Amino acid sequence: MTEANRSTKHRIATRRRYKRLMFGCLAVGIVGLLIGSFLDQYLIGVLIYWAGFFGMLGVWQFSSVTLYDERDTAIERKASDYTLSVFAFVLVLGAPGGIMLEEGGVVTLPAAFDGAMWMLVAVYAVFGVVYTVLRNRT
Amino acid sequence: MKNDLRERRERDGDSQADLAAAVDVTRQSINAIERGRYDPSLELAFKLARQYDCAIEDIFDPDSHD
Repeated sequence: MTEANRSTKHRIATRRRYKRLMFGCLAVGIVGLLIGSFLDQYLIGVLIYWAGFFGMLGVWQFSSVTLYDERDTAIERKASDYTLSVFAFVLVLGAPGGIMLEEGGVVTLPAAFDGAMWMLVAVYAVFGVVYTVLRNRT
Repeated sequence: MKNDLRERRERDGDSQADLAAAVDVTRQSINAIERGRYDPSLELAFKLARQYDCAIEDIFDPDSHD
């Protein structure tokens, strides 16, 4: 086996090991949360979950091999774009539509509807700020 | 954008995982590029061209689409 081949095999094995470690951290966190809630130990469950989540982030960010690459980033960008578009329609059509139907006495909307619409407003406000900052920097 | 990455890789006897490790991306990305489902960035295209000691346009044909 040549030196280059050995190096390549090593990187593949290292990537596989880090991926297992990353998903293992997340799995431990989720299982910890479920067991904690089952045993009424909510605080411990949440702490285990957070530890698992931050462990996963740590492995992802500090591993010596690429676990996510430009294609993953491109997919995430496209998925975010589609998701924002879907919820833009929900907000633009749903909020005034809901208010009109309720004012007209057609339906009685639950309080959760207002909460959901305000949450969407907050999401798009944050998006607008981030977009503006990035636009000015780029 | 069509490419002959699969032919070049198989000619060299490399697996997708081998090539992925060599250019520092995931195996799934190499698979997606070979199938024409993902167009690589300029940086990755340069790495692939360097790997096969050729020009980017020898591997990728920007005028053709799958």
